[in-house]
Amino acid sequence: MVVVVRRGAQGILRLVGRRSESIARDFGALAILSWHVLEALFCGRVSLREIFEQCYAVGVRSVPLVFVTGMLSGLVTSQQGGYQFTGSVPLYVLGSVVTSSVILELGPVITAFVFIGRVGARITAELGTMRVSEQIDALSSLGRDPVAVLAAPRMIAGVISMPVLVALANTVGLFSGLVASRSTVGLGPESFLYGARLFWHNWDLLYSLSKGLSFGIVIPLIACHMGLRTHGGAEGVGRATTAAVVMMIVTILVIDALFPPLFLN
Amino acid sequence: MIEYRDVHKAFDDTPVLEGVSLTIETGECLSIVGPSGTGKSVLLKMTNGLLEPDQGDVFVDGEAVFQATRRQLESIRRKVGYVFQNAALFDSMTVCQNVSQGLPDDEARRCHSPPVLAKVCAALDAVNLEPSEILGELPASLSGGMRKRVGLARAIIGRPQILLYDEPSTGLDPVNSAVITLLIKDIQRRMQVTSVVVTHDIQQAFEISARIALLQEGKLHFVGTPDAFRASDDPAVQAFANRQAAAVRAAEIMEVS
Repeated sequence: MVVVVRRGAQGILRLVGRRSESIARDFGALAILSWHVLEALFCGRVSLREIFEQCYAVGVRSVPLVFVTGMLSGLVTSQQGGYQFTGSVPLYVLGSVVTSSVILELGPVITAFVFIGRVGARITAELGTMRVSEQIDALSSLGRDPVAVLAAPRMIAGVISMPVLVALANTVGLFSGLVASRSTVGLGPESFLYGARLFWHNWDLLYSLSKGLSFGIVIPLIACHMGLRTHGGAEGVGRATTAAVVMMIVTILVIDALFPPLFLN
Repeated sequence: MIEYRDVHKAFDDTPVLEGVSLTIETGECLSIVGPSGTGKSVLLKMTNGLLEPDQGDVFVDGEAVFQATRRQLESIRRKVGYVFQNAALFDSMTVCQNVSQGLPDDEARRCHSPPVLAKVCAALDAVNLEPSEILGELPASLSGGMRKRVGLARAIIGRPQILLYDEPSTGLDPVNSAVITLLIKDIQRRMQVTSVVVTHDIQQAFEISARIALLQEGKLHFVGTPDAFRASDDPAVQAFANRQAAAVRAAEIMEVS
C-alpha cells in the first residue's frame, strides 16, 4: 500500500515537473521570439507590404465575425439585464450595466476568442505546414530570416488590428444593447444613455483598448511560436494547432484576470 | 570547398552522425549514399546551418558555419543553393515569385519587373522548363518533375558556388529521374559549382559524381571514385553497387528480423 502511494506521488511529482519544465521552455522561447521580432522590426528587415497584407488578412477579414459577436454580446447582456432589473431597480441602470459589461469585459474577451479561432489557429496551421513541408528551411536556405519574413508581419498586424476590432465590438455591442433594451423592457435611448453616462469613466475605454492591445500581442506571438516549432507531419500540425488554441485561451483568461487588480484599483 | 570536421548529431539520445569528417574540393561533385535514416540529409542540412551539430563544425570556403554571426550565416547561405527532396516550393506563391526568391531581397520583391523576369526566365530555361507556360502557375498545379525543376531553378538563379541536392530524383518516374540527372550534370559543367548530392539512385551517383561517399550507422564507411566503389569487395558497398548483393543483404536482414 505504502509503495503504491509512494509511486503515485512520484508519478504526480514527475508530471508536475515535466509540465513546469515545458511551460518554462515555452516562456523562454516566447521571450526569444519577441526579441527577434523587435530586432527585425527596428533593423528595418520587415516588409511594409507584407504588414499591410497581413493587416487585411488578420484585421479587415475578421470584421464581419467581430461585428456579429459584438452585436450578440450587447443584445444578450441587455435582454438578460432587463429581465433581472424589471421591478427591482431603476431601469436606466441597465445602460450602465450594458456599457460596463461590454466595454470592460465582453468586447475585448469575445473579440479575443474570435481572433484565436479565426487568426491564431490559422497562423499556427499555416506556419506548421510550412515547417513540416520544409518551406521554412527553404526560406532560411535562401538567406532569409523566417522570423522577419513570416512571424513579424503577422505579429505587427495583430498588434494593430486587435484594438481596432475591440473598438468595433464595443461600439456595435453598445448600439445593439441600446436597441435591445428598447424592444425588451421599453427603455428609451435617452434613459439608456443617461444610465451609461452615470457610471462612465474615460479610463474604461483606455482599459478596454489596452486589453485588446495585450491580446493582440500574445495571440499572434503564441500562434507563431507554436507554428514555427511544429514537427511530425500532418498529425504534428494538428497537435500544434490544438495546443496553440488551448495555450492562447488560457493565456487570454489569465491576462483578463490580471487586468482588474492591476488597473482598476 | 566544404569541410565537415568531426560532426556528431543525435536526436532524442539516438545518435545519427558519429564523428563524420569529409572534405569536398571546389568544383567537385560528390554523392552521398547510404541506407535510409543514416543521417545523409542531416549532414546536408548542416552545410548551410539548417541543423546544428552537437559536436564538430562545418566549414564553407574556410568560414565556420556554426561560429558565424547572423549576417555571416546569411552570406554563407547565399553562396549555397539547396534543392529540397520535395522541392519545398512556397504554396502561396506563383512559379515566378518562387524562383525570384533565390535573388536578393530587393529583386525578389520586384519579381515582375523586366530585369528580374529575365533572370527568372533564364533560370527556368536552364532547367528545361518553358517560362511562358508556368510563370503564373501555383506549385499545386505542377507535376512532381516540374516542381523539382522549379526548385532547382530557385536554387541556381542566385548563381551559387555550391549546390546541395537532397534526393533530387526520389518519387520520379525513370524518364524524369534521367532528366534531373542530365540537368545536374549540365549545371555542374556550365556553372562549375561544388555539388553534394544525397541520393538512393546509385546509377545517378555513378553518372554525376567524381567521388561517392557511403554513410552507414552514422559513420563514413567508404569514400572513393565511382570505379573504386564498383570494384570494392566490401559487402556494405556491394549492397549499393549491384542489385544481386542488395538482394543477399535484404535476405540477411529479413532472416534476422
